[in-house]
Amino acid sequence: MDGRVGLRASRRAAPTPRVAVRSSPRQRARVREQEPVVSAMSGSGLGKENKAGSSTPLRHRPNAFSELDNATPRVMLRKIIQNQPQVSPLALQTVQLEETEDARPEPPSQRTSSTVELQLPDLVPEDASVTTFRMTRKRKKLSISEFERAADKRLPQNQAHSTLDSTLVRSLRMSVGSVMAPDTVEKRGLLRRPQNHKAIDIAAFEGGVEQNMLQIKAQDYLVDLQTSSMTGTTTIRTDAEVVLNNTELFVEPQLGEQNLLAVEPQLSDSKTSAQRSNTSYPAHEKARLEGLVSRVSTDERRTLRFSEKDLITDHEHVDGITQKTPAKEGEDEQDHSQQNDPMEQFSESEEMAGTTEHHADAEYSEHSEKKLSRKAVSQLTAAQDAGVEMEMTPSEGGVAEGTEHQDSPKAELQMAGSPGGHSPASYSLKKSGAKPLKEAVEQTGEIERGTITGVLDAAEEEATDDESDIEDHESEEISMKTPMFVHAAAYRPHPVLSPPHPVKSASPELPPQPVRAKPVPKSSGAAQRKTREPEIASSLIKQIFSHYVKTPVTRDAYKIVEKCSERYFKQISSDLEAYSQHAGRKTVEMADVELLMRRQGLVTDKMPLHVLVERHLPLEYRKLLIPIAVSGNKVIPCK
Amino acid sequence: GSEAAGGEQRELLIQRLRAAVHYTTGCLCQDVAEDKGVLFSKQTVAAISEITFRQCENFARDLEMFARHAKRSTITSEDVKLLARRSNSLLKYITQKSDELASSNME
Repeated sequence: MDGRVGLRASRRAAPTPRVAVRSSPRQRARVREQEPVVSAMSGSGLGKENKAGSSTPLRHRPNAFSELDNATPRVMLRKIIQNQPQVSPLALQTVQLEETEDARPEPPSQRTSSTVELQLPDLVPEDASVTTFRMTRKRKKLSISEFERAADKRLPQNQAHSTLDSTLVRSLRMSVGSVMAPDTVEKRGLLRRPQNHKAIDIAAFEGGVEQNMLQIKAQDYLVDLQTSSMTGTTTIRTDAEVVLNNTELFVEPQLGEQNLLAVEPQLSDSKTSAQRSNTSYPAHEKARLEGLVSRVSTDERRTLRFSEKDLITDHEHVDGITQKTPAKEGEDEQDHSQQNDPMEQFSESEEMAGTTEHHADAEYSEHSEKKLSRKAVSQLTAAQDAGVEMEMTPSEGGVAEGTEHQDSPKAELQMAGSPGGHSPASYSLKKSGAKPLKEAVEQTGEIERGTITGVLDAAEEEATDDESDIEDHESEEISMKTPMFVHAAAYRPHPVLSPPHPVKSASPELPPQPVRAKPVPKSSGAAQRKTREPEIASSLIKQIFSHYVKTPVTRDAYKIVEKCSERYFKQISSDLEAYSQHAGRKTVEMADVELLMRRQGLVTDKMPLHVLVERHLPLEYRKLLIPIAVSGNKVIPCK
Repeated sequence: GSEAAGGEQRELLIQRLRAAVHYTTGCLCQDVAEDKGVLFSKQTVAAISEITFRQCENFARDLEMFARHAKRSTITSEDVKLLARRSNSLLKYITQKSDELASSNME
């Protein structure tokens, strides 16, 4: 500060470029009309000073910058500043940036702009903090000079209306104002996209739903051909169901909502009468699957309107595409009306109850989609399932139903075939719908179900499912509560999940490990191409591997590593399944994982599991896994 | 006193067991040698027998773990099958034998 004052005082002195390096540059910056730069050296020093406008000791500066070109950013800035009466806050900032980058010797107390300087590291991406995973960060350091240049060009003329000569005041204003202004000017490119997220979502996903529906219709047609011979009773409720069927198990909640909403109108009379008019459509939708229910999500209420709209449009599409057997339609109408009654009951309960069951059902239904024999039935029961599931206790209800229904797949079909027994059939269908769900779930891994039932958050459910099924989720570090949009990105347009998760290949997530989401294999709705098995994202593997190996790795090596890790996970997942089965359970639990680690030799008599948990897992998991640690010395044994 | 004696007893027992395993390994190696027309050096046989003994310890520990995992206190053939999962051929062989045993038991 004192230096500054002194400098200000000596401002009037005609400074020789080099003589009064400390004082002159500063005053030059302050003075409205600057003398043209005389020499490159002084210019650079002055430029530097101008930008800084700070009382940083410039002893080293002239030497440091004496060799710089005339065209350095500093020089340019200085010229700008000299030619214009105002000092740009940008310049101030950029100079400070440089200072912070190059040397941070200035004691903060010496300058008022130190506050700005100290703030700068926050504004500017911190090059200093090199995270091991981001090896490309170093680039940013170089780009700052270019950034300054660009920023300068963009500088509005009026920004530096610093008529005040007081460096203190100016610096203060700059520090306060420039902190905000540069953001708008400089950081525009860095603004986060997601701010526009909401605006796009609705429109985009409606379009996506339309596409899905088209796909589904194509699919439905094929499926209908197969199932047409089966039951004539199961009625597709709405086109929305068609849409739902095509959506992936882990489709983002929005999609789910919409789908569900498409279904919901059926369920509740209050929705639209258009649904009733759908009875003609159910024929083709018959083949559609439990997927209907699947889309239930917590947001279903919100998207009710959307579903209605979609329903209407869907109807149009459906009309154009499939004109199923009129005979079936007649039956469907009957079924439909019957369905509506029980559904109405459920609609309310649905809305009231949580959506976990729905979600679980949806996912299960995804799995069972492959079971053509159940399709008709499940479709019918999909909505009912949703309702039924809602009634039952959240986590166990679905499970219980599923187990019951295990034995009624055939029964479903038979019942479905008899128009007379519609209401009972519908209920049995419900169960059968749940049953395939159950099977599917079991196939895919108990851990999924366990997590699903236990979790109310749709995103979490998806996450847990995805962990076993989904690829491309570079979220090994992500905690369980990953934000929705992350899941949304991963799950985009995933049609039916491939049931061929052979039990062996399903890789249940080890509870102690963080979420390892893998994208669901994507199969087109139009033609059921071969569905790939779920894989871990190769980028994730590369990232982790390269982090630990610290040397460059060839692409072939990465491929081998990928193969090894895939085999490894296959093996341990099958082991975990065998262990849980050995204990007579259907869900993989922590005991199974601990047993596996014992077999692996990671956990021994000397090295208990908790120590490993403490050592390797983040704090959130530690809290979950070792409740004693956070109990605050209050341990109450359970009898 | 008594504990030390017990420990010694245990040590003696272990040594006797080790010797027994070694003897059996030697016999088997002899048979294989005659069969294939190769020779087994003493160190080889000793190494094989030591490995076998240690693996037996591991198996025992794992079997006990498996039984406890299933909330049982008796080791059954299910535990053994779980243990042999790693090797497909071995698993097949064991299941075969266990089926034979079960059927013979029923008869």
